[in-house]
Amino acid sequence: MLAATVMSVPLFAAACKGLGALGTPPKPLPDVAVLRDAISAEQVMIARYSSVIAGPAGLAPALTPLLGQHLEHLATLRSRLIVPAGSQAPPQPVKSGSAAPRMPGTPAGALTALETAEADAASSLVSRLAVVSPSLAQLLASIAASEASHALLLRQHGGVR
Amino acid sequence: MSGTADASKRGALQAALAALNAAIYGYGVAGAHLPTTSRETAQQDWVQHQATRDTLETMLTSLGAQPLPAQDAYRLPFPVHSAHAAVSLAGYLENQLAAAYLGLVALDDARLRAWGAQQAQACALRATTWLGRTAAFPGLSSRASRAGSTASAQPSRSP
Repeated sequence: MLAATVMSVPLFAAACKGLGALGTPPKPLPDVAVLRDAISAEQVMIARYSSVIAGPAGLAPALTPLLGQHLEHLATLRSRLIVPAGSQAPPQPVKSGSAAPRMPGTPAGALTALETAEADAASSLVSRLAVVSPSLAQLLASIAASEASHALLLRQHGGVR
Repeated sequence: MSGTADASKRGALQAALAALNAAIYGYGVAGAHLPTTSRETAQQDWVQHQATRDTLETMLTSLGAQPLPAQDAYRLPFPVHSAHAAVSLAGYLENQLAAAYLGLVALDDARLRAWGAQQAQACALRATTWLGRTAAFPGLSSRASRAGSTASAQPSRSP
């Protein structure tokens, strides 16, 4: 009982000074900014796929598995981002018709647009590998490899239609 | 450059070389069971892997390390007696190789990170060509991709 009382005195004193007594939160690591950008990019990519799949191009059977892999990317990236209470809000889902680019209505046009977007996304991830932690670098490189292979599959699909 | 950093580089490069030697062996097995057109693709991939092996050996030598030699034979992950199994083996080998290249991406060296990522991407493209499908996380197990700072792809010594 005595021990509990003695221990609580410094805690009580800190509480009287307010939260400022706990000091300034540390500056976020580069991983945080890269993760936020990667999450936003995945959200835009998912919006692109969702738009084409919902449209008249008839590409749902071919594109749904790729959309599923982007949803896996997004879930994994989000699981790496821990947002402390009171800090900047995490990226919000992209609303249809806002940040998501308008996609071509023809199958060939949609496939080409998605292929270009996948290739650009892969390049963007690889360009940021040098500034992040080893573990995140591996994840981003793996996602970039997945997106590059999506581009290949889309190109092949466009060629055989 | 610290001795520890150089040791890490040598270890990751030797691991990639070991995985590559196993893949080169595996492609030889796969090629023997493929029809002519697919065999030509396997041969092209085999040649690419040999060229990359030369590059890896040069990297190791420049770090003062002796490249580890290939083994005489490697244990296959499953029996290969048909074209279907040969195609599966090629896809499997590429994913194992991608894992080894991701080991280079974990190094504290921007040039090796970029090179490892480029090689992992090439593996994913070849695997897609062989299997006709893509993977969400080439070279990473789904568990490793979610494991945060503990994620570390390890190469397999034998295909």
